[in-house]
Amino acid sequence: MASQASLLLQKQLKDLCKNPVDGFSAGLVDETNIFEWSVTIIGPPDTLYEGGYFNAIMSFPSNYPNSPPSVKFTSELWHPNVYPDGRVCISILHPPGEDPNGYELASERWTPVHTVESIVLSIISMLSSPNDESPANVEAAKEWRDRRDEFKKKVSRCVRRSQEMM
Amino acid sequence: MESEDEFDMHDANDDEDDDNDDDFYSGGDDDAAAAMDSDEADVADYEFIDNDSDDSDDIASHRHQQNYTVLTEGDIHQRQEDDIMRISTVLSISNVAASILLCHYNWSVSKVHDEWFADEEKVRRAVGLLEKPVLDYRNAKELTCGICFEAYPHDRIYSAACGHPFCNSCWAGYISTSINDGPGCLMLRCPDPSCAAAVGQDMINILASVEDKEKYSRYFIRSYVEDNRKTKWCPAPGCEYAVDFIVGSASYDVTCRCSYSFCWNCTEEAHRPVDCGTVAKWILKNSAESENMNWILANSKPCPKCKRPIEKNQGCMHITCTPPCKFEFCWLCLGAWSDHGERTGGFYACNRYETAKQEGVYDEAEKRREMAKNSLERYTHYYERWATNQSSRQKALADLQQMQTVHLEKLSDIQCQPESQLKFITEAWLQIVECRRVLKWTYAYGYYLPEHEHAKRQFFEYLQGEAESGLERLHQCAEKELQTYLNSEHQLVKEFNEFRTKLAGLTSVTRNYFENLVRALENGLSDVDSHGACSRAASSKSLGSTSSKGRGGRGKATTSKTSSSNRNIDDTGHWSCEHCTYANGRRLWVVPLKLLVDCGGGKDKRPRKVVGEDISIHD
Repeated sequence: MASQASLLLQKQLKDLCKNPVDGFSAGLVDETNIFEWSVTIIGPPDTLYEGGYFNAIMSFPSNYPNSPPSVKFTSELWHPNVYPDGRVCISILHPPGEDPNGYELASERWTPVHTVESIVLSIISMLSSPNDESPANVEAAKEWRDRRDEFKKKVSRCVRRSQEMM
Repeated sequence: MESEDEFDMHDANDDEDDDNDDDFYSGGDDDAAAAMDSDEADVADYEFIDNDSDDSDDIASHRHQQNYTVLTEGDIHQRQEDDIMRISTVLSISNVAASILLCHYNWSVSKVHDEWFADEEKVRRAVGLLEKPVLDYRNAKELTCGICFEAYPHDRIYSAACGHPFCNSCWAGYISTSINDGPGCLMLRCPDPSCAAAVGQDMINILASVEDKEKYSRYFIRSYVEDNRKTKWCPAPGCEYAVDFIVGSASYDVTCRCSYSFCWNCTEEAHRPVDCGTVAKWILKNSAESENMNWILANSKPCPKCKRPIEKNQGCMHITCTPPCKFEFCWLCLGAWSDHGERTGGFYACNRYETAKQEGVYDEAEKRREMAKNSLERYTHYYERWATNQSSRQKALADLQQMQTVHLEKLSDIQCQPESQLKFITEAWLQIVECRRVLKWTYAYGYYLPEHEHAKRQFFEYLQGEAESGLERLHQCAEKELQTYLNSEHQLVKEFNEFRTKLAGLTSVTRNYFENLVRALENGLSDVDSHGACSRAASSKSLGSTSSKGRGGRGKATTSKTSSSNRNIDDTGHWSCEHCTYANGRRLWVVPLKLLVDCGGGKDKRPRKVVGEDISIHD
């Protein structure tokens, strides 16, 4: 299993180096460990996050691609679907099968077809359209809904800090 | 030969039990009374007043046709196959597609039919049964797996009906993850997120490991029992049978082939005559912390300073709380002890408390404490008796086991009887076990019987008392009297035959009594409503009053009964009434009246314990 996972990850890493995708860059945290990736996501244009460079760590399980990786931002990020500690909460990163709570359809959850690329693209789309219905950061979700100015201010602070860190 | 004759006679009686159920339950009151000696007038109370004929027909038919079937794994498999076959024939689809459909609609064949013929397209979409592939790669030489992105020749790529190509090792990983994730694997879909095509058992069989296939088929069998509204697993530990129940039939009590009896509705152990709701309440109550709370409330007062509960179990009114609080106060008025002394009444009284009580200051708190205490004692009363019968039942089960494995063989040797002729002993013990179960649940019934329904309560307690003494008599006979024949050196032909008649008679009357008891309790003791509070009037009940209770239309039953009860009298003059738990020996049988019921109401003493470390210290 582990060898299938590492072969697949190696292949994806090679592909991404050869044909970079707009909007993010990816590499390993430590060259000897194929299961820990470091990605930098560029704040998508025409959103509150435009201009920011947000770093995240993707950790893959040994039975990847049958189970999803976890993604955690190391840059500060104020967003309804990012936990205060940086963990990303989107449905495709949830284990496969029907959601016991019935919120998410099986088709919205993890399937082995997903790649680093498709995961990061999902995160980028999450940045441009937050989902405030099942928030990971309740405070941020409330602000996003009720006090948009406050929310914008906090996000621009994050963007500025991420630029300073570069 | 005398013994043969008697045995045959008994057999004849048994047969009649089965054939004439109707008489047996409904018609009997009259001749029960008729057969009664006036000396034993109170025995007439064994009978139940309102044996309405419709009910007894119901019960009679239950006895003949069971309203449930016990299924082995083989039976389940067979039924599952049959249902799949029916669906696939009627809808002209493959067996695999039929099982996916059935899984989806909880194994209801009629539901599948209804939905399918109402809107086939919709059902196909919902379940993921595609009519034609989304992608068609039949002509491609090499295909790229959608998961590992490697290129593979055609024969190493598999896909569901949709055509999305994945290599066999990626499929194996996908399927294995899903199977190890639980029964959701029965509804497996294509890995492509945009595709809903179902992945059926045919693909599992090709692509999964032996171990995973095994697991999958376990889930498949389980799904038939667990998702099906008509079947449930037997809840006994380690039992692998399931019970198929005809929903809508009267009694939920079922007995699995493993001999465990349970309620099909709530899957608790069998609990007739108590309903499922009451059982749930009772079980919750038995486990609930609330009883501890009640105890604390009833038997302790909080320290006025630190609020820890303190139990005063002896000594004077001067209480010193445990360190670090060490507050000294008066138990009665809960005021500081420094305000107390000779002038307030000394160590054993408190004038302040007396004065305040007269002014009504303490009433509410006192009343609440008093009420909690009463309710706790009431609960303890019922619980203890419930639990006692439970353990008696366990003991009786063990005795039955012992009887079947050891004693019967020995008895058969000593008394020169084939073991097949000793069945009456096993039957007696089975009856004891069943009666203990019923009796146990009557205590939960009694606990929830409203206090203000005095007539009902009185009637109930009377019935329960009689049930207990009747059962006690049977138990005594099956346990103690049997010992004589087990321990005797030589064959006792005559005595043993008498014993047989007596025990079989007691078993039968006890069975009838308990069946009637169960029905009376299930009817909510409605007799009391229609007959007023006169139900207790045992001593005043005479032959005349029984027959005057509108039994005119029962002529036929009465005649047939009279003849049958005559047959229960043997040549020694030993007979047992078929309609109550009364057995008449040559000498008058001594009935140990109300063994458990007469326990002195709420006066029982339960060992009191100190609550946590909150002990009181007296000076």
